[in-house]
Amino acid sequence: MTASRRDALKLLAAAVATAAAGCSAPPEELVPYVDMPEGLVPGEPRYYATALPLGGWARGVLGKTVDGRPIKVEGNPRHPASLGATDVFMQAAIMDLYDPARSQTVENAGQVATWPAFRAALAGRLATPGTRIALLTGRLTSPTARRQIKALTARYPTLAWHVHEAAEDAAAAAGAAMAFGQPARVVPRLGDAAVVLTLDADPLGPGPMQVLHGRGFSRERTARRNDGRFVRLYAVESTPTLTGASADHRLALTPAAIGDFARLVAERLGAISPPALRGRSSRPGEATASRVNGTPSSQAEPPAPAYPPPQPSPARGQGVVAAPGPGDWERFAAAVASDLMRAKGHALVLAGPTQPPEIHALAHRMNGQLQAPVEVYADPLAGEGAADLASLVAAMRAGTVDALVILDANPVYDAPADLGFAAALRRVPLVVHAGPYRDETGAAASWHLPLSHAFESWSDLLAPDGTASIVQPLIRPLHDSRGLHEILAMLGGAEEPKGYDLVRATWQARHPGPGFEDWWRKALHDGVVADTRFPAIASDAKQSGATGAAPAGPGLLRRAAPRNDGETTLVFLPDHSAWDGRFAANPWLQECPRPMTTEVWGNALGLGPDDARRLGLDSGDVVTITVAARTLTAPVCIQEGHAPGVASLTLGYGRTQAGPIGTGLGVSAYTLRTSGAPWAPAGVTIAKAQGRAALLATQHQFKLDAETRDILPTIGLAEVVGSTVTPKGAPGPSLYPAVAYDGYAWAMVIDTTRCIGCNACIVACQSENNVPVVGPDEIAVGRDMHWLRIDAYRDATSRAPGPGFQPVPCMHCEKAPCEPVCPVEASVHDSEGLNVQVYNRCIGTRFCEANCPYKVRRFNFFGYADGQEYADLGADLVKAAHNPDVTVRARGVMEKCTYCVQRISRARRTAEKENRSIREGEVVTACQAACPTEAIVFGDRNAASDPVSRLATEPHHYALLAELDTRPRTTYLKRVRNPNPALEGEG
Amino acid sequence: MAQIFRPRADAFARVLLAAVLVLPLALIGFVYVIHTTPYTTGEGFVVNQPVPFSHLHHVGEDGIDCRYCHTSVEQGRFAGMPTTHVCMTCHSQLWTNAAMLAPVRQSLAEDKPIRWNRVYKLPDYVYFDHSVHVKNGIGCSSCHGRIDEMPLTRQAAPLTMRWCIACHRHPERALRPPDQVFSMTWTPPKDQLAEGRKLLAAYLIHKDHLTDCSVCHR
Repeated sequence: MTASRRDALKLLAAAVATAAAGCSAPPEELVPYVDMPEGLVPGEPRYYATALPLGGWARGVLGKTVDGRPIKVEGNPRHPASLGATDVFMQAAIMDLYDPARSQTVENAGQVATWPAFRAALAGRLATPGTRIALLTGRLTSPTARRQIKALTARYPTLAWHVHEAAEDAAAAAGAAMAFGQPARVVPRLGDAAVVLTLDADPLGPGPMQVLHGRGFSRERTARRNDGRFVRLYAVESTPTLTGASADHRLALTPAAIGDFARLVAERLGAISPPALRGRSSRPGEATASRVNGTPSSQAEPPAPAYPPPQPSPARGQGVVAAPGPGDWERFAAAVASDLMRAKGHALVLAGPTQPPEIHALAHRMNGQLQAPVEVYADPLAGEGAADLASLVAAMRAGTVDALVILDANPVYDAPADLGFAAALRRVPLVVHAGPYRDETGAAASWHLPLSHAFESWSDLLAPDGTASIVQPLIRPLHDSRGLHEILAMLGGAEEPKGYDLVRATWQARHPGPGFEDWWRKALHDGVVADTRFPAIASDAKQSGATGAAPAGPGLLRRAAPRNDGETTLVFLPDHSAWDGRFAANPWLQECPRPMTTEVWGNALGLGPDDARRLGLDSGDVVTITVAARTLTAPVCIQEGHAPGVASLTLGYGRTQAGPIGTGLGVSAYTLRTSGAPWAPAGVTIAKAQGRAALLATQHQFKLDAETRDILPTIGLAEVVGSTVTPKGAPGPSLYPAVAYDGYAWAMVIDTTRCIGCNACIVACQSENNVPVVGPDEIAVGRDMHWLRIDAYRDATSRAPGPGFQPVPCMHCEKAPCEPVCPVEASVHDSEGLNVQVYNRCIGTRFCEANCPYKVRRFNFFGYADGQEYADLGADLVKAAHNPDVTVRARGVMEKCTYCVQRISRARRTAEKENRSIREGEVVTACQAACPTEAIVFGDRNAASDPVSRLATEPHHYALLAELDTRPRTTYLKRVRNPNPALEGEG
Repeated sequence: MAQIFRPRADAFARVLLAAVLVLPLALIGFVYVIHTTPYTTGEGFVVNQPVPFSHLHHVGEDGIDCRYCHTSVEQGRFAGMPTTHVCMTCHSQLWTNAAMLAPVRQSLAEDKPIRWNRVYKLPDYVYFDHSVHVKNGIGCSSCHGRIDEMPLTRQAAPLTMRWCIACHRHPERALRPPDQVFSMTWTPPKDQLAEGRKLLAAYLIHKDHLTDCSVCHR
């Protein structure tokens, strides 16, 4: 089209007229209800107790809604897997709910269809007698879903139910069954432990029990507690994990060597008979085959020819990498064993997914001997007739599946590569997929059904200890979706089933009688159903399972010392952001820096510096990984803490159908995963390939000279416990006038000993404060918006095994360097010591950011939340996630942590209305509320009894960059370590 | 050669030079003034409504309490607008056929809300809370004027930041005893300043904090 001069003038006139008309504020409407729900106060938040699933297990939450919109998630203090705190995935659930990429309509063969059309098509198929139906779900703990599936099985005798959960630890279940003689669930109580040994287990890492374990662990990790208890953690692991980062001693070994180490400790504890040595230990993959039931067949095994050479010599081959020598290893095992024995009754051994069932069983056996604080429950979910994915694929290949219904699972993406699920799926005539997204499986299915979010539907879920929760919706479905139970009922032939009725029916059957309504309301209100824990295994069974016939067999033979034959083991880990891939479409999680590497928007092959040097690799180099003839090309991210000969890759990336946010990020570990070795395949080759990839990180790693000792000091427990309180020196001289704060003086203390680096606070802050996502392109040029970041420091001189985490919000300095440099007084102090940013005054000079020594200020280079959003985040639907109490910042404006001033204001207004002062603990910041380990404490420094005042007098209290005398209101407690004196001087 | 400039050009030049100095200042002054005039602030303007609701009739003549319709004024940020059901508690019995009330009956019949036009409008970056004002001795009429004398609702205050902050600097000038908050006829007594200071203490109001940016902006 060409525009004449006349057209241009017309357009100009129109633009001027529009601009002139735009000067007056647009009219606004007030729209009251026709009939208001009882008790509602417009604009005021209401909280509803519900639960969110992760891998099928519930974490209880309180959903905050304002005028009917869910806007924030808080933990439910009554729920055993939440205890009032949240993990990062719970915080991000709000973004999942409002994701514009969610599936919105029924689709048939890629065309928009309707629910009645689906029901008609399904009914036609199911009516045919003898139709062989298969149902594939994720792990279902929901009593209603299990009741429905039982009913379906009764109705269609040919129906087969299969369960597939990608991040499942099958070896743990097998190990528990071996140890206790029946399917059992073991929930360790870290809160009762004094000494913990992890064998490639990551209790503090992401998972359904992260909050539970984090809380238990941190409660036992409070320096200067009155009873003097302070848990000691030994982490023996193959890859850097959050558990290893918090450990007092850490030993990096290959998964196979960890098995050997476990046996060595077990021998020392007397849990198994003296060493039967052999040259090679079993690998996790072989282990399932070598399971032996109690008969001491190990005697038949020929003994190992000889001890391997004490210290593997580099001359033996290129691939040999130094590992701890037998001396170190024996000494470590001896020290751990005697420490465990010393703490009998409070000692705990945990095995992780890379370990074979024998080692899990051995861990249970050690726990039995140590009278460890573990809850052992008979697993009522086992024995409900759910088969695994492999048997389903076999049936599909054989052509004996006429109809396959996949509920909330994505096997086309996350099935082990050796099964060939996608190929087998083509042999099934009718494939129905129900899920929140039209993902890889949805695209391959003939029918795709949109599944409602947990915040939109009725359901019920079990916590890891069996405690049931009723899941109630916070909002009506945003799209034409249905809940899981409604779809299951449709399979049974129901027309328009109501999730509410289905869930109620389950519980009414368990609580017949007139009192049901009261019971139901109480269960909904509390968010937990009382007395629903799994039945505990009787203590005699527990004892016999743990101390009876010794598990034996080739799996229990060990090598004399760990060594590396040049073989590389690849360890798969659930991702801190994408988990098993289901959160890949969530922009908050994608932009949430992974602990330790601060990597965002992708994954990479983790490799230790020594192995990288040996292979001639640098971070960002692209390599070809080969596992049993399957190859994958991935960038390398060098990361300390990997055992020699171990590489790691997180699950959940390389998605091809994850909306505008998640599609095409990273590489898919599932293409290398096999059902035989799902967590740690050995015999992996890594070869340098062409090209380099840009690793996106919010911060880059570099060496500081000695500053780490000042920035994040690590000290021994003895230094703190024995210390008398040292009075803080008087503040230095200042050019700025002294200000008296005689009202409230808000302050924050962060205990770096307790911080496990889980990232829950980062996303909680993002959700609470409308912090926008900037996208990978902006991250690549060094811009990010998180008001709260977590720095990781590894201090080579302190001999602390893992990196220490330091959450850094705004310091709210009393002598704030950002304030005098602002030409427009946009950065000012308020009368309570808050350093506030006045967005309307800000003209974007960025002087404040340049002058901030803590680098906590964030600038809107673009309208990240205001017209220039990343990908599809500008959709109206996403705006519904905003907290109405916080301004959405425009382009060109500086922003930063406000200490959740809106929460302070709310507490103040409540107090003022009741004509009283704000109570201690009444103001809880978003990061503090989310923190599973209670590492963040906020309060009034002017109140002597307030925890922030108490902590400020502790001997290990310090201010960040204290030499600048900015007098920050955010201060820290040093990182306290509790090393074993017998091992002092080692990692 | 003829003269290029006629004698009058001198005068033009002088005026022009003066204008260069004066006009920008005048323009700034004009903008400054226009921003505080009712034309911009909306003070005194009446906004058309779907139903010509009269506070004069309901409050002044019938004596209905503010909180009968504005139910959440003591609990929340928003005073609350009456639901159709609230209107219909009386109007299902009174004036049941009045043409003026047709939108209300229609709302009830169709279960669709009445869409009122906002009269008092604060910018989105201002976080105002009705309840904390009402519970701390600021009366309705301090901001909304003699609403009991308004046949049609109009904006009785400029709602500029200057106006807000004038009261936040000297709240004692406006504080009332709790039982006078909803009174339309309250006027400051002669010793208001002394009374106000006593009330300031009684309501536990910290004046320092009232002028912090973070009180209204966050």
